[in-house]
Amino acid sequence: MLKKILSVRGILTVLLLLSVVVASIATYYKIVYWGFSFSPQERTDVWTVDAHVSFKPTGDPIEVSLSTPRIGKEYKILSADVVAPGYEVVEDGKNHRVVMKSAARAVKQDLYYRIMIYDNKDTSGKEISDRPAQVNVRYDDEQHEEMVKAIWRLVEGREGETKAQRLISLLNEQPLAPEVDSFLPVQKSPQIMAEDIIFLLNAKGIPARIVRGVQLSEKRKATVADLMVEAYEGSKWKIYDINTGKSGLPKSFVVFQRGGNSLLDVAGGEDSKVKFSVIKSVVSSFKMAGRRAKYENSSWFDFTIYNLPSLEQNTLKWLMIFPLGILLIVLMRNVIGIQTMGTFTPMLISMSLVKTGFVPGLVCFGLIIGIGLLIRTMLTRLNLLLVPRISSVVICVILIMQMLTILGYHYNFSIASSAVFFPIIITAWIIERASITWEEEGARNAVQQIVNSLFVAIVTYGVISSEYIRHIMFAFNEWNLVILFVVMLLGTYTGYRLTELKRFAPLARGK
Amino acid sequence: MFDFLKGYVSPRRLRENGVLGMNARNYGVISRFNKRSLYPLVDDKVQTKKLANSIDINTPRMIGVIEHQYEVKDLLQRVAGHSEFVIKPAHGSGGKGVLVIAHYENENFTTPSGRVLSFKEVYQHVSNILSGLYSLGGQYDVALIEELVHFSDVFKNFSYQGIPDVRLIVYKGFPALAMTRLATKESSGRANLHQGAVGVGLDIKTGKAVQAVSHNVPIEIHPDTGADLSRLQVPLWREHLLIGAQAYELTGLGYLGADIVLDRERGPMMLELNARPGLAIQIANGKGLRQVLEKIENTYPENLTPSERVDFVLNN
Repeated sequence: MLKKILSVRGILTVLLLLSVVVASIATYYKIVYWGFSFSPQERTDVWTVDAHVSFKPTGDPIEVSLSTPRIGKEYKILSADVVAPGYEVVEDGKNHRVVMKSAARAVKQDLYYRIMIYDNKDTSGKEISDRPAQVNVRYDDEQHEEMVKAIWRLVEGREGETKAQRLISLLNEQPLAPEVDSFLPVQKSPQIMAEDIIFLLNAKGIPARIVRGVQLSEKRKATVADLMVEAYEGSKWKIYDINTGKSGLPKSFVVFQRGGNSLLDVAGGEDSKVKFSVIKSVVSSFKMAGRRAKYENSSWFDFTIYNLPSLEQNTLKWLMIFPLGILLIVLMRNVIGIQTMGTFTPMLISMSLVKTGFVPGLVCFGLIIGIGLLIRTMLTRLNLLLVPRISSVVICVILIMQMLTILGYHYNFSIASSAVFFPIIITAWIIERASITWEEEGARNAVQQIVNSLFVAIVTYGVISSEYIRHIMFAFNEWNLVILFVVMLLGTYTGYRLTELKRFAPLARGK
Repeated sequence: MFDFLKGYVSPRRLRENGVLGMNARNYGVISRFNKRSLYPLVDDKVQTKKLANSIDINTPRMIGVIEHQYEVKDLLQRVAGHSEFVIKPAHGSGGKGVLVIAHYENENFTTPSGRVLSFKEVYQHVSNILSGLYSLGGQYDVALIEELVHFSDVFKNFSYQGIPDVRLIVYKGFPALAMTRLATKESSGRANLHQGAVGVGLDIKTGKAVQAVSHNVPIEIHPDTGADLSRLQVPLWREHLLIGAQAYELTGLGYLGADIVLDRERGPMMLELNARPGLAIQIANGKGLRQVLEKIENTYPENLTPSERVDFVLNN
C-alpha cells in the first residue's frame, strides 16, 4: 500500500540532501567571502585615517609624494580621497604612493589624504619574500664593533622566538644592561631606537627596515607617524614593536611606508610635516558585505537581495521568516495534530504579535475577540445574511481597533494602541468561526479552538520574534530551499500524529 | 516525570494493531483512491441522491430544492402537504445545518425536541444555508428539502432523539468496517462522537454490536435510555452492505463512507456519501482500519459485482 510513497519520498530525500549541500556551500561562501555572520550584532570597524601634509612653498613648482598603505592585501578600502585644491593628483599604485603636483604657490599649503579602511589584518610573517640584498654595516671604530658583539652575546642567552625579538626585549629591559646602556644614546626617541635596532640586526647579518604607519585607536589626533621595525628571518618579513619586541602587526596598525622610501617627499616646499588623525566608526558587517564581495570580484552579489534598496530589503527580511513559520504550522498540524482555526491564522496572529510586542498583543487580541464575540452574539438576533453579517463583523472589528487605539493613546495605555496591527479580515473570521462553533458545538469547543490557535501562534512567535533567527533566515536565505523540501517530505509523512497516540489509545491492546 | 504522557501509547503498538492514522489516510488512501474530480458527486447531496436513484438505491424522497434567496419566500408552497420533513444544506458535512421538522402545521414548525419555530426562523435558517454558512469552504449552497425518515423501531431505545444511521467504510467496493452512531442528551441529538454521541461498532458480517464507546471509553448501556447496547442488531444487514458496495460503482471512489438509515417502511436508504470518512469508526469497533484495508487490497478478488462483493464479505 505504501510502495509508491517510498519512491516519492526517496526523490524528495535526495532533493533535500542536495539542497542541504547547496545551502551549506552558499553559507560557507557568504561567511568567508562576504563576511556574513550568524549574529545580527556583528559589526565591522571602519577606520578613517587622515594624513595631513603641510609645508611652506619655496617658490618652485611643487611636487608632493606621500607613501600610502598597501591597499588590498592588508586592508580593504572603502574610499580614498585627496583634498588638494588645484593640484594634479596621480595615484601610483605600484609604488604605493600618491603624488600631488602644482605650480608654485605662495602661502602655507595644507593637503589631505583621507582613506577609510576596514578588515585590516596582519599579513606580515605569513608571506614568503625574496631575501633582500645583504647590508654591510659600517662601525665607527673597533670599540663600537665590540659593543655590538657584546650586546649580541647577551641576546644569545635570552628567550624569544626570533633573534630580533630577543634583541628588542633586551634593549627595552629595565634596568638596562651596562653594555646596552653604553651603546644607546641618552636621548631615546622612537626614530633613534628604530635605527639602532636596524643597525644591530644588520650587524648580525639580518636584513631589517623601518616601518612607518598609524596606530589605529579611537579618536587619535595630529600624531606623527608611529614606528615599527621589520626584520627578515626565516624567509619572511616579520614586524616588531620597538618598545616590547612583540611580533606581528597589531590588529590596528596601518602601514604607510616601509624601508628606505621616505614617508613624505616635498619638492618646492620646506618645513614639511605629515600628521595623522584617526577616527573609528562601526558599521554593520552586513552592510559591508557588498564591499567585500567587490574585492572578491563576485559579480553575482549584484543579483542577491542584499544589493537592493533598504526598503525592499526590509520587506524581504520580513518575508524570509515566513517559510520557517510555515514549517512550524505543518509540524503542528501533521506531526503533532493540533487543530486550529484556519490553516495559517496562527501564523498571522504571531506576526502581529511581533509587531505589537508579546503581552500587549495578547491582551489586545483577547479584547478584540472578546468584544467582537459580544457584538457577533447581538448580530445573531438580527438574522442577517452571511456575507453582510461577516462584513458587519469586519466593520465592528475596525471600530473596536479604533476605539482601543484612541483610548490607549488618551490614557497612555500602550497595550491598547497595538490593536491596529492585527489583520482585520482574519480577526473577523476568527470571531465568526468561534461564534458558529460556539453555537453548534458548545462554548468548550469554541474556546478550545481559540486556545489551540493561540498556542500555535505563541510557539510560532517564539521562533520568528528572535532577532537571531530573522537575521539568519535573511542572511542565509538559501536555507529556505531546505525548508521547502522538508515541508514536501512532511507531505509524505504517513505516521501517527502525536495527538492520535492518545486518541487511538483504546485500540492499543496487548503488549 | 513523564506524567504528561499518561494516556498516550507508543506508535509501535498502534501500528501492531493496524490503526490507520490521519496522515496515512490522507496520503496513503484518499489521495491514491479518490480522484479529486469525483468529490462533487458526493459533496453535493442533491447529485448523490439523483445518482443513487438512477440505479434504484433508495434515498429519502426529495421534496424540493431551494437554490436562490428569492425562492426562500416560496418555502411554504414547497412544503405544502407535508407535515414532516428535513431541510439540509446540499454541501453540508457532519450534520451541520440539518433542520428536522417533526411536525408542521399552520406555519408552525415543530422540531423533534418540541421546540416550535416560526416561519421567520425557518426562513432565516434556509437563507443561512444558501449563504454557505454550513457548506465546505463557505461557498454558496442550496437547501435540500426531503422527506423525514421514519426510523425503524429497532433503534427506538438505542438513541436519544436523532436518527441513528449506519456508517460503512467501503474500500475498493468491499464494506470494510461498520458502526452506528447513537445520539445522546450530551450530543444534543447529534450523531458526532466528539460531541458525546455513542459509537457502536458493528460486526461487518452480521450487523451485530461488537462494542460501544462513549468519549473513547467502552460502555455497556446507553447513558440516557439505559438500553443494553450489546443487544443492538441491525436488521436487513445484507441490504445495508449492498448499498455501500454499490456506492463504489456509483462514484468511483476507492475509499468512501456511506451513511445508511433504516426506514420503517422503505428499508435501508442511502443518506449521504463521504469521500473523506473519519477514523473514529476504528475506536467504535476497537479495531484498526489499516489491517482491514491491507487484507482487502492483498487478498480479496477483483472485478466482482457489488452483490458478489457483499457475498464475499459475508462468507469470508
